[in-house]
Amino acid sequence: MNSKKTEISADYKKKNWLRRKETLQRAWYKFSANILSVVGLIIVIAVILLAVFAPWVAPHPDHAGAVVDFTATMQSPGAGNLMGTDGVGRDLLSRIIFGFRFSLMMGLVVIGLAAPPGIILGLIAGYYQGTKIDTAIMRFADIFLAVPPLILAMSITSVLSPNIFNAMLAVTLMWWPWYTRLVYGLASSLQNEYFVQSAEVMGASTPHILFKEILPNCISAIFTKITLDMGFVIIIGASLSFVGLGAQPPTPDLGTMVADGAKYMPDQWWLTIFPALAIVFVVLGFNLLGDGLRDVLAVEEV
Amino acid sequence: MIMFSKKFIGLLLVFSLLMLIVGSPAIMAEDSRLRATFSWPTEIDPAVGSDYSSSTALTNLYDTLVYPDPDGPMKPHLARNWEISDDNLSYIFYLEEDVKFHDGSKFTAQDVKFSFERLMAVGEGFAYIFEGRIDEINVIDDYTIEFTLEEPFGPFLSTLTRLYIVSKNQVMDNINHDADTYGEYGDYGRDWLMVNDAGTGAYQVVEFDVGHRLLMERFDEYFAEMHPQAPGEFEMIGTTEAVTIRTEMNRRDLDISDMWQTSQAFASLKEIEGIELVGWPDGGQLYLMLNTTAPPLDCVHVRRALAYVFDYDVAINQIFPGSQRARGPVAQVIPGWNPDLYRFEKNYERAQEELQQSEYHGQFSDYPIEYAWTDEVPDLERLALMLQAEASVVGLNLEIVRTPWMSMIDQAAQPETTPHIASVFVNPHYPEAGSILESKYHSSTTGTWEQMEWLQNEEIDNMIEDALKTVDLEARVDIYQEIQEIIVELSPSIFALDNFEQHAYQAEYIDWPQPDNPIPAIGYNFDVRFIGLDTELRAEMR
Repeated sequence: MNSKKTEISADYKKKNWLRRKETLQRAWYKFSANILSVVGLIIVIAVILLAVFAPWVAPHPDHAGAVVDFTATMQSPGAGNLMGTDGVGRDLLSRIIFGFRFSLMMGLVVIGLAAPPGIILGLIAGYYQGTKIDTAIMRFADIFLAVPPLILAMSITSVLSPNIFNAMLAVTLMWWPWYTRLVYGLASSLQNEYFVQSAEVMGASTPHILFKEILPNCISAIFTKITLDMGFVIIIGASLSFVGLGAQPPTPDLGTMVADGAKYMPDQWWLTIFPALAIVFVVLGFNLLGDGLRDVLAVEEV
Repeated sequence: MIMFSKKFIGLLLVFSLLMLIVGSPAIMAEDSRLRATFSWPTEIDPAVGSDYSSSTALTNLYDTLVYPDPDGPMKPHLARNWEISDDNLSYIFYLEEDVKFHDGSKFTAQDVKFSFERLMAVGEGFAYIFEGRIDEINVIDDYTIEFTLEEPFGPFLSTLTRLYIVSKNQVMDNINHDADTYGEYGDYGRDWLMVNDAGTGAYQVVEFDVGHRLLMERFDEYFAEMHPQAPGEFEMIGTTEAVTIRTEMNRRDLDISDMWQTSQAFASLKEIEGIELVGWPDGGQLYLMLNTTAPPLDCVHVRRALAYVFDYDVAINQIFPGSQRARGPVAQVIPGWNPDLYRFEKNYERAQEELQQSEYHGQFSDYPIEYAWTDEVPDLERLALMLQAEASVVGLNLEIVRTPWMSMIDQAAQPETTPHIASVFVNPHYPEAGSILESKYHSSTTGTWEQMEWLQNEEIDNMIEDALKTVDLEARVDIYQEIQEIIVELSPSIFALDNFEQHAYQAEYIDWPQPDNPIPAIGYNFDVRFIGLDTELRAEMR
């Protein structure tokens, strides 16, 4: 008896694994058919690797901290410093590489904090569509959506003191309603599906229905949105820094670098252009990747 | 048809925008307007304005009884001459008789009295200089006026460079009686004087767009000397944005730049053909104000340690080239500075020694030091990064915060909100050490952006008051110098550098004669009536 059960189970596991492998392969095939998606993936991986290994990759890792070298200020890009140096003699390439760290951290922390509560609220509101719970949650979300995002973030960071933590807090506060909305839309249509109704008939608990029945069917859309949002959050973070409400010196931050460098345009162009290109690079990478994922998952849903 | 008209409107819009951008220089090709940029805002009410751009506007719109003389004390201006009583309490001024206000009315002693009363009633701007000093003003006849002082006031004549004379009749005609802020004087003409002028100056207001620019035109019946080619109009433009200035100067649409450009920007402006740099020590100084009420800076040893890690050479050579190493609290062009003061040099060992004597020794990591800089002057960030790096060598942890100028003024109001370190340029209000000592270190000026040290030292207060009461110049200077010694001992500020006011200007067609000695009173070095503008040459160069 026992051995037979084990056999069946092993057989099932193997088949299951093969099926999953096949699905993944099919997904990768679709994904790689679009060359732009692959470019996006490569960019994202490259940025992540650069950020993680910044202390080893950057030519002058100490330049990310409180270091000045007034013998080498404002040097144009060349052999010594590939992207030139800034007004206090720090290597710009090193600071951009370290700047990726802040940008990625901004994206990860903000989405890590904003997505879970947003998703849970969206599931609840969607499942109880038409009730007072739905109205309460969704109108509350609408209040946040009614305020222009950058204005809300700016007012929060200027009332509190401007630093990285407050900038993240501010962006998080304005970001969660988007997830609530997305999941609400999906959950409210899913709640009429047969599999949800049968779970209800079988007496499944509400958490079971929310998290085991509805959520797995939303996950692909959520995942796509997370990838796309990384780019937007990084942009918002850079904008906050640009107006002086984000990271404070000497923390290397791409938005701050663009803002400070702009005062030295057009002669010391590298101070602005390279950090700005770096922002474009990161955001573009995440957007291309997100688009690719959406294509793959969208076909899957049909 | 509809498609066509939409396209047509679109084209029209684009075309008109292009006209705006490309067409405007052609319209002003042959004008006689001198254009210069300034940091904004500018206040042109003589009882309100006091900063650099306001003082410049006031110098051009109004006149004062005396005029600062680069080669000596004060020289006559609206006052032909004066007599001082033996007890130094009474000053009798004999006034110029053929001076006209911009509205054509004649200048008399009544206007002087009125201007003073209005300044004191409004109580802003430079009013504090005269607070509690003047007992009464007596109009003896139309062209003779007597000031009676409460007690002797040594720099009295110098301070009169900040009493701008307004036309009594014109102000009285323009009083808003709906407001009763000043009793029977209504709003004392504040609404009107905010955007108009009632002066005798070489220039008069044509149009004041408060947020952006101030346009003045030459007053042809001006009583004093003028450059034969003095510009017909003078426009102050409120921007310090480097790219705009560079572009406009290149097109000869801007004649003189502001002083707030970075050294890089000045260098590249100088490369444009026909543009030269001109500059002078303006009597101002860059102070790193240390909030003496905030731990750990309430300990004098920590303050001295900071003064020992500051890299003075980098500051004057790399960050603000042209400026001079500061001697002490008073810039070295202001009468009354002390040449024998102890001067801090960068020295890590001395810094460490000071830190070891501090009560906070060993716990500096618990006391982060907040360093605020204003982004109107981009180079101040480089200075902040320099001090941050140097201080970290001796274990002091600085947090740099970019602070907009308006927030810094707010923060300065309370000792609790004042940052530990704030880097700010301060100029004397009248050309004498007493001015800067009072506005920087007397307890009455705490809470203003000029004193973020919160020194509140009774001994220094008394000495400053004593000095100002001393009429004999030498005796006064002695006290000034003694005060400076005590201040260096207490180290409430790091004396970063003596400022060098620098402008890029179109030397090809502008004649801007410079006195051998600069006038250490803000605004007076930018008296446009002494500037010549060759409009034809400019038109050719455009």
